[in-house]
Amino acid sequence: MNAMIKRKVIFTFPPEIVEKPISHTLMRDYDLWVNILRAKIEPSSGGKLVLELRGDEDMIEQGIESARQAGAGVTLLEHDVLWDKELCVDCGACISTCPTQALSLDRDNFKLIFDFEKCVACGTCAEVCPVKAITIEF
Amino acid sequence: MDTITSKLRTYEEINDRIAKGEAVVVTAEEVINLVEDEGARRAAREVDVVTTGTFSPMCSSGVFLNFGHADPPIRMQKIWLNDVPAHGGLAAVDTYLGATNLSETAPDYGGAHVIEDLVRGREVTLKAVSGGTDCYPRKEVTTDITLLSINEAVMFNPRNCYQNYNAAVNTTKKTIRTYMGTLLPDMGNVSFATSGQLSPLFNDPTFRSIGMGTRIFLCGAQGHIAWHGTQHRPSVVERDGKTIIGGATLSVVGDLKKMSADFLRAAVFPGYGVSMFVGIGIPIPILDEEMLRATAVTDDELYTQIIDYSYPHRQRPALGTVSYGELRSGTVTLDGKEIRTSPLSSYAKAREIAQTLKKEIEESQFLLQRPAWTLPREGVNNHLE
Ligand code: SF4
Ligand code: SF4
Repeated sequence: MNAMIKRKVIFTFPPEIVEKPISHTLMRDYDLWVNILRAKIEPSSGGKLVLELRGDEDMIEQGIESARQAGAGVTLLEHDVLWDKELCVDCGACISTCPTQALSLDRDNFKLIFDFEKCVACGTCAEVCPVKAITIEF
Repeated sequence: MDTITSKLRTYEEINDRIAKGEAVVVTAEEVINLVEDEGARRAAREVDVVTTGTFSPMCSSGVFLNFGHADPPIRMQKIWLNDVPAHGGLAAVDTYLGATNLSETAPDYGGAHVIEDLVRGREVTLKAVSGGTDCYPRKEVTTDITLLSINEAVMFNPRNCYQNYNAAVNTTKKTIRTYMGTLLPDMGNVSFATSGQLSPLFNDPTFRSIGMGTRIFLCGAQGHIAWHGTQHRPSVVERDGKTIIGGATLSVVGDLKKMSADFLRAAVFPGYGVSMFVGIGIPIPILDEEMLRATAVTDDELYTQIIDYSYPHRQRPALGTVSYGELRSGTVTLDGKEIRTSPLSSYAKAREIAQTLKKEIEESQFLLQRPAWTLPREGVNNHLE
């Protein structure tokens, strides 16, 4: 018997497979407990689904693989908060609004440091960031 | 005997050295260490050019565009780019698109986003309507354009590159949303917006090399200073025993087709609206020792005032005077309270701009241009009554 684990995953899919019920398959065929954190589905442009999966580790792996086979894009979420380094301009506007001091500027190169350990996913920085480099994924 | 204003070199001599790849160029940060190590006198004899940089939200920015004519032609009177209205009061297919104009359909999208999309090579939907005239019979057009498909795209920003700017704080009990970012209640944070010791107009505070025609780095392209900026009000005030200089502004112009999204970015300030990060670098020629001494200024010697942005009138109260050294350290102390700070301009980008400009000059790709006239040392200060 494998360990029961919990994993957050973002599935993105093109319009062709919007109709395929990903979460249903994961529940029925892989015996996973599925919590839908966010769902945005548009028949014309495809969709995005953020799921929290719980269950047997192997089953989770297989379930994710089957979604991938069906044509879905898969991103495993390490954190609830996504920081797009490429988009970030290191302006620092987010820093002083963070209640847990998870954000700071590197003293040497003045680029943003994001300490995910300290982050409580309150969403303030995502709202404040002028270039939308931070998004909350749930 | 040489004085600090004895001429060391001319623009022509500097450009000769740049053309030969021999110019000695340092950034406005590097010059600080150089002066510490060997003194201003020696450094001034070595260094030809000091480069500066800033990357800040600058609302008073925009682009002139000429679309070319449709067939049959139209005299565009109302114009939208990706549903953002642009100015229809110029000739048939000319327009000016301001960075802060908001989309009529999409939230958090405005003129600056259209400009960034164009620079990134993306298609933008142009829609225009007209009453129709004998020579321009068409009444409507909708088509996709790109930066390559249109005739001209010229950035022209009436006010950029503030010499100095207030730091902002909020003394009320609720969060306020401003162009200085989100300000937390009870002086919960302070925001500030210049690159201090790297900032162009702090490094030539009397504008000896800054004026109409000066060649500058503008969002990755080579642009020029067009005029002094609107609300150009150079000032030197003494407060709390500290000297605060500031108030000078620039109007700048450059070819959007040569710009890069690395140095130009649309910005959204929630509850306030859209602005645009504009990257500007100005090379300062070291004509004499006095000019070099000015470029060696440090964040600890540059001051600004902390202003209460929650006060709803024009004359907002100043709560204190702080140095950029303090602001950049991450916290300032005000009324005995330690407050965390947020820069709104990117020091990392400012540094990247100063370094990029340095490299371009070293590699003979960027020559200096002597201005036709230098910025006025005084400004006007009128108000709406
Ligand atoms: S989500 Fe909240 S806690 Fe996490 S970094 Fe952003 S502001 Fe800080
Ligand atoms: S506000 Fe956005 S762009 Fe600025 S440092 Fe934070 S994440 Fe980066």
